[in-house]
Amino acid sequence: MAEYTLDALGEACPVPLIRTEKKMQELKAGDILIVQVDHSCAMKNVPEWARKQGYNVELEEVEEGRWDIIIEKTK
Amino acid sequence: MHEKMREKKVENYDVVVIGGGAAGMTAAIYAGRARLKTIMIEKSLPGGLATYTNEIENYPGFPEGNTGLGLMQLFERQAKKFNVKVKLAEVQGVELEGETKVVKTFRTDYHAKAVIIATGGKPRLTGAKGEEKFLYDKGISFCATCDAAYYTGKEVMVIGSGDAAIEEAIFLTKFASKVYISVIHDVGIMDANKVAQEQARQNEKLHFIWNTVVEEFAGSERLDTVILKNVKTGERIPVKVDGCFLFIGYLPNTDLFRGIINMNERGYIITNEQMETNIPGVFAAGDVRDKVLRQVATAVGDGAIAGFMAERYIAESEYFAREFREVKGPQLVFCYDPTDARCREMMTVVEAILQKHPEIKLSKIDVYKGKSMALRLGLTGDPCLVLIHGGRVTEVLALPGLTPELIEARIKQLAA
Repeated sequence: MAEYTLDALGEACPVPLIRTEKKMQELKAGDILIVQVDHSCAMKNVPEWARKQGYNVELEEVEEGRWDIIIEKTK
Repeated sequence: MHEKMREKKVENYDVVVIGGGAAGMTAAIYAGRARLKTIMIEKSLPGGLATYTNEIENYPGFPEGNTGLGLMQLFERQAKKFNVKVKLAEVQGVELEGETKVVKTFRTDYHAKAVIIATGGKPRLTGAKGEEKFLYDKGISFCATCDAAYYTGKEVMVIGSGDAAIEEAIFLTKFASKVYISVIHDVGIMDANKVAQEQARQNEKLHFIWNTVVEEFAGSERLDTVILKNVKTGERIPVKVDGCFLFIGYLPNTDLFRGIINMNERGYIITNEQMETNIPGVFAAGDVRDKVLRQVATAVGDGAIAGFMAERYIAESEYFAREFREVKGPQLVFCYDPTDARCREMMTVVEAILQKHPEIKLSKIDVYKGKSMALRLGLTGDPCLVLIHGGRVTEVLALPGLTPELIEARIKQLAA
């Protein structure tokens, strides 16, 4: 049940998504990854991908135009 | 990269709004503007079903029209202006019966004094092959009012035979050159009302294809062919169209509330005109409600009422705690109806007697104005005199048998 952070700030699509996909493979069930993004396209496609995998997803607008995407690997 | 252990957080709010569509955002705007600490929890992105509509031309105040997304972004800006916190996460569970309501996401438990359910719904899909690929702006639509003009002079198909399907198909013939209707039933059988059926039969632009369901949606970028299947013969019938409208039902997002909140047989939440559900402090607004018209304009009306009522409920709860629950000693509560002569007469009597007993607190509830405060005390809301000690009701005296002597005697007991 560890928590990891992935800094994808300043990165444009599809880089944050690709890095998220890769990082999620390393996680164990129950682990959490927090992806930090500041591209509005990443705040859409990363949660969308994660939900499709059946993971728990939460999005938090930390400040105007900057989001934390919190993903729990459920299986 | 750092590592730390996970723990579930608890956050306290006055109001939690579940759902970030037109109704939820309006409720949040009203709650936020009433200076309530408000959070709106949305499972994907704010805006709800309206964001799937290209043009919204019938929402008053925007004579030039607006895109669904554009309009909803304005709603969101307004909510944020009133310090509404927006959380994008899926609600996974609720505990609504208690005084403190709990709304759970996978990381946080939100504790609230009032909850507004504005979870909306979604159109039912056929489940046919290729459907996902063409949804909304790629050729499969759910709203003739929204998208009919786009199909001017083109050929479209409607799936279904209920009121919505037939009425919308008739509406579409004002724009499209040809409207096919795929109906699952035998020739001539429709689920729609008789008036709509008659109009449909006389409309030359409508072409019924009976005994069929959708087998597949096909095309490259956009939908260009709907392949139907005859349910009797199994025959595949490809039909070239520019667009397809599904009217095979609408599903409210109410699974979370099953067995807790009263719903109708189709899963819509039943409320009164004050948007109150069967649980005090829990309100519902927008498409999720059992109601006649589901539009942005009606969602906004619901949301405003729900936000207002949540504020009123919280204010009343605080008053109730102060006026009743936190009172330590003896207390007399007079539930009165100021329009009733006997009540006015007894009021004078009660006030006179209590002047001799300053140690007993007198509270008055105007049951003509509203019964909710009386209901909170476990009363029916009819005029009566109630004896309370240490916040607990010890006796209820009905008004008809009440005499000054009886009141005097009871007050002596209460004071002792």
